[in-house]
Amino acid sequence: MSTTIPIGPFHPVLEEPEYITLQVEGETVLSADIELGRIHRGMELLAEEKTFDQDVFLVERICGICSASHSWAATLAMEDIGGITIPDRARYLRTIVHELERLHSHMLWVGLAGHIIGYWTVFMWGWKYREPVLDALEAITGNRNNYAWYCPGGVRRDVPDEVWPPVLKSMDEFAEKTNLLIGAILNDPVILGRLKGVGILTKEDAIAYGTLGPTARGSGVDIDVRRDESYGAYDEVDWKVITQPDGDCLAVAVVRLLEMIEATKIIKQCIKNLPKGEIRSEVREIPRGEGIGHIEAPRGESFHFIRSNGTNMPVRHKMRAPTFLNIPSYRPRVKGETISDATLIFAVIDPCYSCTERMAAVDPGGKRIANGHDLIKLSHEKTEWLKKNL
Amino acid sequence: MSKRVLENLKTTFGDRVEIHEHSSKRAYVAVSNDDWMTVLRHMYEVEGGRLTTATGSDRPTGVELLYHFAFDREGTVVNIRTTLDKPFPRIEALTKYYPAADFIEREIFDFLGVEFVGHPDPRKILSSHDRPADFHPMRRDE
Repeated sequence: MSTTIPIGPFHPVLEEPEYITLQVEGETVLSADIELGRIHRGMELLAEEKTFDQDVFLVERICGICSASHSWAATLAMEDIGGITIPDRARYLRTIVHELERLHSHMLWVGLAGHIIGYWTVFMWGWKYREPVLDALEAITGNRNNYAWYCPGGVRRDVPDEVWPPVLKSMDEFAEKTNLLIGAILNDPVILGRLKGVGILTKEDAIAYGTLGPTARGSGVDIDVRRDESYGAYDEVDWKVITQPDGDCLAVAVVRLLEMIEATKIIKQCIKNLPKGEIRSEVREIPRGEGIGHIEAPRGESFHFIRSNGTNMPVRHKMRAPTFLNIPSYRPRVKGETISDATLIFAVIDPCYSCTERMAAVDPGGKRIANGHDLIKLSHEKTEWLKKNL
Repeated sequence: MSKRVLENLKTTFGDRVEIHEHSSKRAYVAVSNDDWMTVLRHMYEVEGGRLTTATGSDRPTGVELLYHFAFDREGTVVNIRTTLDKPFPRIEALTKYYPAADFIEREIFDFLGVEFVGHPDPRKILSSHDRPADFHPMRRDE
């Protein structure tokens, strides 16, 4: 006789909307059903009413964490339609921002994983070490998330040379601290006890379910769009794809931890070899045709397909985030595990339900004390401060 | 380009596939409804392609399905296309043979009303459950 256990519609730890129904017998999970769609915003239809330039800003808002990934994939799709080549400097600048995004996304996950298993030290460390990465992103692009960095033909803004030395220094410090964190995590018996051998996804299942990114690489599937498609500057720098054979939660954690070290290597090489010159090639129009852009986002491959009829708006813009294909792999993964591990196993794919929120500061009397303009002004002031003091 | 994949498609299916090479990394292959499942299974089971996703779109000629297969080792994407007749588009589900297509086909059913015959779990996926069963927001019917 099985019992139904609902989790959601609001994830108790990830603070994101999802609804999982577990069928359990005693403590053991027999099967799981996952419901999506609670924050579906109809962006594919919306994209058809925006110009190509506006579309890049729109897809950036699919997700706050992957804002560079989606906009890069969309611009690649537009460039694929028109056969547009971009300047070398733009390729390197795009790569640097994208890898910084990977760093902060992976570190966010490490912190959350610590939070989920009740290991608050890891949460505090992880999020503390993530902060300088966001500062570096702000110094380069002017914003912590939603960078407005990518545009068809290149990047929107150039970066003055004086920004790079502090970013390089920050990367060295980040790598040093991450190595410390890796040592602390991988030698901790409590963490090993919670992660090792839990939620195994076999290589066959990982392929059959079409899993992507660290989820697939943790099961020994050697795929990485950065190497396979060789877009950006990835084929001009020295780095390696991290895979682990075991397929359990620990393997995925190890992949993410080691990928952070690889990402710092990529960023440092890109900054040192950054070519001089133009940052954008002129794009007069996106001709009639179809184009595909896919890139390796922190969670796996982001895929964009765009069809143009020669006007300034796409007639179809398909967007697929990696979590959409990683979620179904939860079913084989959780089968036979205990309820206590079910939320951790779900979190191992680093699910992302595309969340961005607006905020307004309100005092206890209900009076609004800061509006959007005030917050933007504060943000600009902080960016200026960072540029001077980082 | 996936010369290997395209050559194999030509050899196996002959005139039944219409190949358009967009660039060295992208190709589009049009097939008829009857050959649809045979070609898709060939792409996955024989060539080892990975179904990245599928795009459904309502076009003047009918509902178009475009399945994107990535060949990671070669860094290429080969897209298989077919067009289904409106107003009741239906076709065999790839999910029967390849679990990765599960959510992808449910999404196309949800937004475009394509009936995937043999799909083990043909429910809506993203649109709200309180919408009527025939509510398919990306259809452009009059």
